Amino acid sequence: MRRGVWHQFGDRSQKLALDHLQNGVGAGVVISPRDLSLDSAVRYAEEYHALGAHVLIDQQFYLPDTSVGRLDSYPTVQYRASISQLHQISDTELDGLAKALEHINRQVQSDGVLAPAVVYEAGRPEIARLNSRLFSGARAVGDLLGLPVYATVVLGQSTTATETTLSQALASATSLPADGWYFAFEFDDERIPSSQGAVQRCCGAGLTLACTGKPLFHAYAGPLGLLSHGFGAAACGLGHSQNLWRFDRGRWETPDVQGGGGDAPARYFSSALWGTIVHPDETAQIPRQLLAQVMTPSPYTSPWNRWGANKHVVHVIGSTVQTMSAVDDARANAHTAIAILRQAVHLHGVIGAAGIVLRDGTNSYQANWVDAVEDLLQTRTDDFDYLALLK
Amino acid sequence: MPFIVPLNVAEADYPEFIFLAALTPSEQKAAFHVRDAAGQDLCLKIIAPHFSIDRLEREIQALQQLDHPNVVRLKEYTFSSKGGKQRHYMVEEFIAGSDLAASLIDGQPWQRSRVSDFFAALCDGLSALRSANIVHRDLKPTNIRVRTNGSPVIIDFGLARLLDLPDLTKTANGAAIGTPAYFAPEQADPASTKHNIDHRTDLFSVGVMLYQALVGSHPFLKPGMSCQELRSAICTAADWRSQPGFVSLPNPWKLITAKLLEKERARRPLEAEQVGSILRKLGGV
Repeated sequence: MRRGVWHQFGDRSQKLALDHLQNGVGAGVVISPRDLSLDSAVRYAEEYHALGAHVLIDQQFYLPDTSVGRLDSYPTVQYRASISQLHQISDTELDGLAKALEHINRQVQSDGVLAPAVVYEAGRPEIARLNSRLFSGARAVGDLLGLPVYATVVLGQSTTATETTLSQALASATSLPADGWYFAFEFDDERIPSSQGAVQRCCGAGLTLACTGKPLFHAYAGPLGLLSHGFGAAACGLGHSQNLWRFDRGRWETPDVQGGGGDAPARYFSSALWGTIVHPDETAQIPRQLLAQVMTPSPYTSPWNRWGANKHVVHVIGSTVQTMSAVDDARANAHTAIAILRQAVHLHGVIGAAGIVLRDGTNSYQANWVDAVEDLLQTRTDDFDYLALLK
Repeated sequence: MPFIVPLNVAEADYPEFIFLAALTPSEQKAAFHVRDAAGQDLCLKIIAPHFSIDRLEREIQALQQLDHPNVVRLKEYTFSSKGGKQRHYMVEEFIAGSDLAASLIDGQPWQRSRVSDFFAALCDGLSALRSANIVHRDLKPTNIRVRTNGSPVIIDFGLARLLDLPDLTKTANGAAIGTPAYFAPEQADPASTKHNIDHRTDLFSVGVMLYQALVGSHPFLKPGMSCQELRSAICTAADWRSQPGFVSLPNPWKLITAKLLEKERARRPLEAEQVGSILRKLGGV
């Protein structure tokens, strides 16, 4: 798994990814069948490869009985069924699913096979068994194509509620003979996760996976990607739309979930705030000397429009995370993230003291993330040491 | 209760072998050090009539898949009936040396260079098991032979589970098979099921033995402890961390031992190969 930032596809992401890859941001691309038909995926994958990027294709079996967007353009669609039906999948059908996976991965010339898996839920051991069977199909494809096979580990909210349920889900997932982990964590329904406990459990789960010594992909990371390399991830998935900033079950339940806030004014992602600010509405209120600190230059801010804002957010987060990915030391990256977030908390404080209230609750999570990572560094010190020992 | 066959009875039933010594029997097998007509030293295991054929076939299947210097080699398996006389036995290579149990002595920790060499080689054997998708489930000092050159050999696959195949245990709780003193928490916890058993279960047992070698005492077992207390200690106790012999170890040794003894399977090392590689890196540090 190539280390660094990967473009996590959403709706209308293909050209954006091309643009960033041409500008040196991005180690790879994760294609989303929900958002891109197989024919288009094949075409774009060729272009990404030509730019030196790696390509993975996410099978999106998270909620296996739904088929939204363009999922039905893939041969795996005939195997989409309810968990209880899938649980009874015969060996012949499993072979058929494996053949469909082989076809897709051959077509897009993927650099690894992402195994299909449903969302892990607490108290549902049959899900772990189903994921194990689905994984075995992917394993066969990877062995046939000579590609690494990454187990999909999407932790549903029922598993993330307590350390015990989380640990049980991770124990099941990590018993699979995978070459790495494609990991996502389901948070509460908010734009950017703010709960210290939930963020800490997410980072802790990531650290547990990283301590297996297998490469870890933090999928649907968004701004939380700042923490990915701090818990030992090798790669993190970054998309422009807000519904890619955490694992969002709704994307696979509802056909027309739009990201990016509909007709809302364009948000400007500020590295110094590690969050968004409405530009120019809110930036116009900020005193000139502070504004220079708030604004993060990128090639996409002039002229300023919604599409530029999309490119800008990926550029800013991607550049920062890419720099961190060059340091193969989780503890050092955790400290870097803390320093960036502390600075953001301070800057938010100064802005607040000037009587300016920013929208979106954009200052609601940074301090909690600091607490979460500091606590992780303290309570999981053995795991950070073990990661270093594994090198 | 061990299955015992008197030496004279064994000699009469197996005249093709010269019997040199009786070895420690298990519940399922009486074991003898024998020599065949070619002068080769072997281990003859006579199988108890009550031993489950299914389970035995698993053991044979497991052993036949393996060819590794740190795993015992199966030479022959015979189940025959002639003239009303049944002969059911297996022949393994004979490992000259002793059981690991003889070397793990309370109050006598090993030199760390020896720990590194021995346990790294043990991990090599476990890696071979993992490659064949086999969990031993009963790793303990009496199931590890020490060759005269000091290298370990994993023996007795009577409780091994092949993860590719359905488990033989028909009960809901199939985890608690093995020897309690070297149980992992998922084996010691009555609520645990067979689905909670994997390679990391064996790695916990390695952690217990590694602790014994480094510290000179068992991390959980205390004199006079009942089986129930032992199980509880395995699932919850952390006082082994404060034993002076452990506290005084260099940090990397403490770290790898503590990781192997993690109560949660998910937080243990994933593969014996990784552990072996770390132990080799540590050497005599």
